[in-house]
Amino acid sequence: MKIVSSALILAVLTGCVAQPVKQDMSAFHATAPRSILVVPTINKSLDVDAPNYVLAALPVPIANKGYYVFPVNTTKYVLEQEGFYEGERIHQMATPDLAKLFGADAVLYVSINRWDAQYAFITTVVTVEFDYRLVSKDGAEIWKESKRMQYQPQNNNSGSPIAMLVVAVVNAAVTRAAPNYMPLTRQANQEVFISGVNAIPDGPYRPASSKQ
Amino acid sequence: MVRFLLILPIVVALGGCVTPSLYQWGGYEEALYAGYKDPTKMEALRLKLEAHIAEMEKSAQKVAPGLYAELGTLYLQAGSSDKAISMYSRERDTWPESKGLMTAMIQNLERRQQARAEAAK
Repeated sequence: MKIVSSALILAVLTGCVAQPVKQDMSAFHATAPRSILVVPTINKSLDVDAPNYVLAALPVPIANKGYYVFPVNTTKYVLEQEGFYEGERIHQMATPDLAKLFGADAVLYVSINRWDAQYAFITTVVTVEFDYRLVSKDGAEIWKESKRMQYQPQNNNSGSPIAMLVVAVVNAAVTRAAPNYMPLTRQANQEVFISGVNAIPDGPYRPASSKQ
Repeated sequence: MVRFLLILPIVVALGGCVTPSLYQWGGYEEALYAGYKDPTKMEALRLKLEAHIAEMEKSAQKVAPGLYAELGTLYLQAGSSDKAISMYSRERDTWPESKGLMTAMIQNLERRQQARAEAAK
């Protein structure tokens, strides 16, 4: 519970802070995709489970932004039937071929750069970092973004030094037992697709009345 | 007091900058994650999707993009191609963007069924 609430506070603190550089969205607007194919991710971290976990967290925010998102598990299954099991191989396929195979307007490529928990004295830092690239069915890159999220349990500094030490040890133990990757991943996706300054524009299913 | 302080940031976050959800997902994301973590839990994803889709249809609400097709693929993997075809058709009828893929999946399954029927003659 403590981790969950801390993550939420962290989300609030970092969620709405505007980034300085605004991307040029003209290529995106020129393409105006209606449908996005999210293909299995590339993994540069050491955690073999990370690609599937990240894949599961992608469709909901993109669909909520107003796009038709091809069913990710079905996409994965179809690609596996074609002999493509590894994200690395799928990312090497020509985008126009991939888009044509599924009838998609654009393809989203995500690579996982970091997915780790580093343990230091009485504390733990959990880090996730992703690169996102959206490529139109013609093969032109129309949007890209990177996002790194870190989580470190905060220690209450109200108690005596020994009490603080105990809190820190407990926090580190809890984090170590169950690193908090998924809330960080969801938060990264939320910022990248919805709330960030370089978030993709609203898609065709997003009603005009709710546009921000 | 502590509880209140915990709830406050959630309220702020929801009111502040979160785009409201367009659809109901019926726990899809969490159940898919659980299924990837432990493949025996894919069965739970199937049950969840079945219940959610039934509920959405009962109340005449649009089913979120991809959910019919995801359920169809779980049926296909379990060997029920009739049920898979039915779900792929519903995905296609609900979401025109899926038409190419869904039609290809359906035709492929129908061809396989015909081939099997002829082999059994």
